[in-house]
Amino acid sequence: MVTKVLCVAEKPSIARAVAGHLAGENVQGRNIQGNNYTKNFEFDFNFPTWGPCSVVMTSVAGHLTSQDFAPEYKKWQGCDPAALFEAPIVNFVDEDRKPIAANIERQARYCQILYIWTDCDREGEHIGTEIRKTASDINPRLRQPGKTVRARFSNIERAHILDAARHPIPLDEAQADAVSARMELDLRIGSSYTRSLTLNVGNIIKQRMQSDDKQILSYGSCQFPTLGFVVERYFRVRNFVPETFWGIKVTHKKDDIDVSFRWARGHLFDRMVAVILFERCLTANTACVTKMQTKLTSKWKPLPLTTVELQKCGSRFLRMDSQRVMQLAEQFYQKGWISYPRTETDQFDRAIDLRALITKQTQGQTPWTAFADGLLNGEFSNPRQGRNNDKAHPPIHPVNFVSPETLTAEEQRVHEFIVRRFLACCAKDAQGSKTDVSILYGPETFNTSGLIVLERNYLDIYPYDKWTSSQDLPNYREGDVFEPTEARIEDGQTSPPTYLTEPELIGLMDANGIGTDATMAEHIAKIKERQYVETRARGRAPVQADQDVESDFEDVADRHAPQARGRGRGRGRGGRGGAHRAAPQNQGMQEFIPTTLGVALVEGYDNMGLETSLSKPFLRKEMELKMKAICEGRMTRREVVQESLDQYRDVYIRAQRQLPVLHAAVRKYVFGEAG
Amino acid sequence: MTTQRPAAAIPANNTAMNDIRTSIATHLASKNVPPTPAWLASFLPSIRTSTPLQALQKTALFRILATDITTTLATIPATSLPANIANAAVKELRLPGPIVVQVLDIEDIGHSRWSQFEALEAQKRGETRRGHEVIRVIPEEGNVPAPVNASAGPHKLLLQDGKGTKVYGFEMRDVGAVNVGMGIGAKMVLRGVTVARGVVMLEPGGVEVLGGKVEAWDKKWREERKEVLKQQAGVGLDG
Repeated sequence: MVTKVLCVAEKPSIARAVAGHLAGENVQGRNIQGNNYTKNFEFDFNFPTWGPCSVVMTSVAGHLTSQDFAPEYKKWQGCDPAALFEAPIVNFVDEDRKPIAANIERQARYCQILYIWTDCDREGEHIGTEIRKTASDINPRLRQPGKTVRARFSNIERAHILDAARHPIPLDEAQADAVSARMELDLRIGSSYTRSLTLNVGNIIKQRMQSDDKQILSYGSCQFPTLGFVVERYFRVRNFVPETFWGIKVTHKKDDIDVSFRWARGHLFDRMVAVILFERCLTANTACVTKMQTKLTSKWKPLPLTTVELQKCGSRFLRMDSQRVMQLAEQFYQKGWISYPRTETDQFDRAIDLRALITKQTQGQTPWTAFADGLLNGEFSNPRQGRNNDKAHPPIHPVNFVSPETLTAEEQRVHEFIVRRFLACCAKDAQGSKTDVSILYGPETFNTSGLIVLERNYLDIYPYDKWTSSQDLPNYREGDVFEPTEARIEDGQTSPPTYLTEPELIGLMDANGIGTDATMAEHIAKIKERQYVETRARGRAPVQADQDVESDFEDVADRHAPQARGRGRGRGRGGRGGAHRAAPQNQGMQEFIPTTLGVALVEGYDNMGLETSLSKPFLRKEMELKMKAICEGRMTRREVVQESLDQYRDVYIRAQRQLPVLHAAVRKYVFGEAG
Repeated sequence: MTTQRPAAAIPANNTAMNDIRTSIATHLASKNVPPTPAWLASFLPSIRTSTPLQALQKTALFRILATDITTTLATIPATSLPANIANAAVKELRLPGPIVVQVLDIEDIGHSRWSQFEALEAQKRGETRRGHEVIRVIPEEGNVPAPVNASAGPHKLLLQDGKGTKVYGFEMRDVGAVNVGMGIGAKMVLRGVTVARGVVMLEPGGVEVLGGKVEAWDKKWREERKEVLKQQAGVGLDG
């Protein structure tokens, strides 16, 4: 008897692609009952493990089952929100998923093997267990060892899929447990806090504003710290006090070149001392060259691309908001153009055939064809190895060639970025020659430097980085003595930090373990949706200036980037595609300003003097670390849920006692009443 | 009637005690902190003559470093600041020293007051930042006061000698022990320093930090620091 295998993917597009590769030809799908998007594909395939099999490939649409509280707890007014920490939770199949579940049940009845083809991340693992439950409830034999397996794949390129199909692995229960824990915690904590906030605070707002809309004040353990970052920066900007500083500037005209020397001290915030030092320089009259050094320097090519980096670059260079960038990336993945776009890995595995990937990019006539050719003809250099590897997916890279003419303008920008980034990774670092000169003028040291870019290398394909030769330096030698052309004292003022931009916010969330590469964009979208923050274009001058500022910022961010970080994995998929309006092409960077409501909530909770304020990232960071512990088998699901619930319940109770503080903040900021 | 002698009362003609007194006075003078007779007289009753001499010397030094030197040091012109030292009309003069001074105030003038204020606020909230990462600092068991970060500087100090003369000092080159964590009232010895326009130029070669602090001053200084920084920032615009 021929073995029957049921394959289930996470989305119809993946099912179609995999079916096409396994069947070796285009397979016609049959619509399932009650749903026009999901199809079943039937074909034969020879699996090494089970021999020739008759295969049905179908899909779900993200999560198959949902969770909610038992019916008696669903009505907001029907129970004390605090009860939700312990209220029973039921799993059920949503109305619109029922046809899909029914299809799985029908197919599962007669199959011997269940082969899970959901995306390979934690959410996917959990969805795999949901499918397994639905299938094995009908066909308990599928619970036996080896009867339910899963495929490990990172893109839907043919050879890769065939290889994945021939090497099934078991479902990772630990990862599924971590997601299950996260779902329960998000449900309990999100619901209890949201209900309490809305009932206790939302109602006074509603009354005051005399509006009929139910003002939902939502709380999410990721959302809130995200808002916290925005509010914190807002107050830093608002409270900022500018201060005057003084610096000494020295210039020297030599060989017809005007050289500017920077004071080694930078600047001082004390006028008297600055003037005294200045006088001592002038008294000395001449300056002496103490150091003249020329050495080779390089500008490193970028690291392989991760999700966070894609979002940040999308915001900075492409001026698109991160949610839109990720939506497009997801589409590219489903169409088989790029690898799985949710990854933390910034190092390429030794085994990946980079040359083959580059060769694909030499087709057609694109702006990067010539460069890709060059890489294959001697210009290739191994990509840098970053510090992170989530062991699930490689860095984001193009898997196939796509002709830009077939893409919309938006798609082109994102796709081109991914291709250029990949090619840049495989190119050489840019090379230059840097000359550093130090002089001693009186008791003070001054420095200048010059840069000559000798080889642009990766810069030729990656216009998002800038490195230009500076003005030539004249020839200085150690021991040279000269009289400066001009020396003067200058003053300036410190300027306030700027409001958070999206890449900065993503950077903060990433560094503090808030959200994951899969969800950060969603949390940001949520606080906009709830009207806790607004965005506006930063009023700034020319693009050039922006670039400089941002490259400074990037340097700082990279320098402080933490080691491979422990983060929980993404929250739900399926049903996200919802109301998204096309992002306007923004000229300036968008910055985040909290609304009075957002400020009131954060200030309110901060003023409660809780040991850990909800607007700070600490609680969530701990939760994410615990998720990781479940995945690594160091903690059980039950332990994590218990601990986290205890923590949040504790805070909840304290916060309840201090509701007047929250009310006061709302009155102050939302209603504008004096303190 | 017997008169009760206080423990370790010193008979004026006790040779052993005289030796101790002389030895301590000499020791302190060698450390550039020669005590007044009054201070010595107040110190001696507190010691036990059975303690080894070296330990007594150390204790004496430790105690005197905790005092206000305008009341406890025997001063002579050679080891004091010139009266007109803070005169900005004098372009440059040199102090051979050795002159001992105490620190009345210290500022980090390499960083804006506002940024220093913000850093203290964050510390108070129990947070420190490592780059972008907000890390919660858990207070240690036993509630030891949080260590003050050593500041980067350069620093400007307000110094005072045993006679009470005050002068500013500027850290020309990094003197390790000088930072906002050092105690207010800490003592330093100046040798061969240059004074430019009434400000002493402090460099590692010319400064020996003896340490110590005046508890009452230090406590007050630290309590008021945030408020002072805030005000200084506010007037920053007026220079």
